[in-house]
Amino acid sequence: MSTALFSEDQRDALQELTNIGMGQAGASVAAVLGEFVMLSVPRILVLKPNLIPPALGRIVGPEKVTAVRQGFHGDLRGEAVVVYGVAHCRELADLMGYDEALDEATERELLLDVSNVLVGACLGGLAEQINAEMGFSAPSLMATEVEVASLLDVQRMDSPCALFVEVNFSLEKRSFACHLIMLLPEDQILVLRDAIDRFLASL
Amino acid sequence: MTELSHSELGGFIADRVEIGVFAVDADFKLTLWNRFMATHSRHSAVDVLGQNLFDVFPELPRAWLERKVRQVQALRNYAFTSWTQRPYLFRFDHNRPITGGVDAMRQNCTFLPVKNAAGEVIQVCVTVQDVTDTAIAHEELAASMAEVEREKAEQRKLIGELAQAQNQVLQSEKLASIGQLAAGVAHEINNPIGFVNSNLGTLASYVDELMVVLDAYTGAHDQLPEDLKAAIDAKIKGVDLDYLREDLVSLVTESRDGLDRVKDIVQDLKDFSRMGESEAAWADLHHCLDTTLNVVANEIKYKAEVVKHYGELPEVECVASQLNQVFMNLMVNGAQAIAERGTITITTGTEGEQVFVAVRDTGAGIPPDVLKRIFDPFYTTKPVGTGTGLGLSVSYSIIERHGGRIVVDSKPGEGTEFKIWLPIRYPAAASAAA
Repeated sequence: MSTALFSEDQRDALQELTNIGMGQAGASVAAVLGEFVMLSVPRILVLKPNLIPPALGRIVGPEKVTAVRQGFHGDLRGEAVVVYGVAHCRELADLMGYDEALDEATERELLLDVSNVLVGACLGGLAEQINAEMGFSAPSLMATEVEVASLLDVQRMDSPCALFVEVNFSLEKRSFACHLIMLLPEDQILVLRDAIDRFLASL
Repeated sequence: MTELSHSELGGFIADRVEIGVFAVDADFKLTLWNRFMATHSRHSAVDVLGQNLFDVFPELPRAWLERKVRQVQALRNYAFTSWTQRPYLFRFDHNRPITGGVDAMRQNCTFLPVKNAAGEVIQVCVTVQDVTDTAIAHEELAASMAEVEREKAEQRKLIGELAQAQNQVLQSEKLASIGQLAAGVAHEINNPIGFVNSNLGTLASYVDELMVVLDAYTGAHDQLPEDLKAAIDAKIKGVDLDYLREDLVSLVTESRDGLDRVKDIVQDLKDFSRMGESEAAWADLHHCLDTTLNVVANEIKYKAEVVKHYGELPEVECVASQLNQVFMNLMVNGAQAIAERGTITITTGTEGEQVFVAVRDTGAGIPPDVLKRIFDPFYTTKPVGTGTGLGLSVSYSIIERHGGRIVVDSKPGEGTEFKIWLPIRYPAAASAAA
């Protein structure tokens, strides 16, 4: 696992910027969900594609997962993946204030909606810190109730390495938790690095 | 002025683009309503601008839409809906009035925050994209995938049935050859038994005649000269003539009894196999059961005592050799289920138009998860090499072919009962096909 693309200073700065961005994200997510949101300190890794599934497995554990992907574009281009343990998925309806039992379509819409909120808030927060313009495409279901290992098809990834930023969400009063992973291809890592350099220079 | 300013151009495109575009302020008052929206909703911009969205379109899912817009305002970020989960936001006619396919236009919507210079969200703009064609193509694809899956499942079922049919052919061929062998052996044994039997008959009468002659000699014994008499006395004593005379008769009688038993066994073997017969004929099920019991006696006599509760049974039209095979299966299985020593009870009787045969054992019983599968081909709980896993599935299909049914009732620890119901007549269609 090499983070050699970043110097120590750059990595610290990225970690800090992500952290501040996430903090703001947490506040706005809390406003939408009406619950206090706890976020882990972002963990940043530069990984070869074939190391991404094991890294995911380490975060999520052995349970089956449902995942949503959402592309982002603009000054930074990449994909965000939100991974839910199957058990947590069912808590969403309650969380979003639905009382009645949900049909499958409504449940999936909710899943996409919550993912959109988390991705938008976290990446938006980061973009704001580094003064980047970012747009989002519509989120889509990646897979439902599958093994973590089968989530990503590493054969199809053509970037030699990817920036793996992991944030864990949990709610203070509930057991609900999910994991957000931001994946940047190699050329975008360089873009991000330049943005960080500009940020450091402006201090 | 021939040129358009940048904002005029933007406004023109937003109005004319083939995507629905509208915007609401914080109170859901409409601030933008492009031509796409006007055309499809049949509400012109002049009519709706400044109106509350929910006043103009009371059918909209209000609670959900309010939450969605608030979310965009609070997070200052995009939100989306997809036709796959929510087919449409506005119920618009689709672009296939003739060819049809769906009830209304399928829509993907994007909610985007409209920010002022300070970055505050002052309005929320919504774009409505017509994705009916994609949706229809997607659904057609899903339908044909489902069809392919259904066909695959059917094929799997057919392959399973084929395998089962093949097993039955194998099993019945095996049985037929055993039957032929048994019949052949029985025939071969019958010949020597025939002449041994007749020889024994002759032997018995010779013995009687010899006895008469011996009696006559015995009467004349005392008149013999002393030295000769002493020599004969010594001989008589040497062979214990009295015992010999007694035993000779009983030896002949026992041998004839033994031969009768051999004849019975040969007859049972012939009855059991019926020379590979497959035509239905009228048969006495009690006779079938007794014949089968004789054939399997050796298998079960160390494990179980057999108790018969035979009721009144009419003759039944059936393929007796096949039913014998079923009875044999149930009896042998019953005996194998008994660990030390138990009882196998065979009960027969009539119920309505049908006759029944029940075979109950006092064995270990069958656990519920196994019970579900006992009629499956190749399912076996016996150690490798002991059972083929075909017995009960073959029994099942034999009973089915007879238009009957077989049910099992089992309590772990108490035992198992298999009960077979059979109609008195063999099914006509099946007998015509056979």
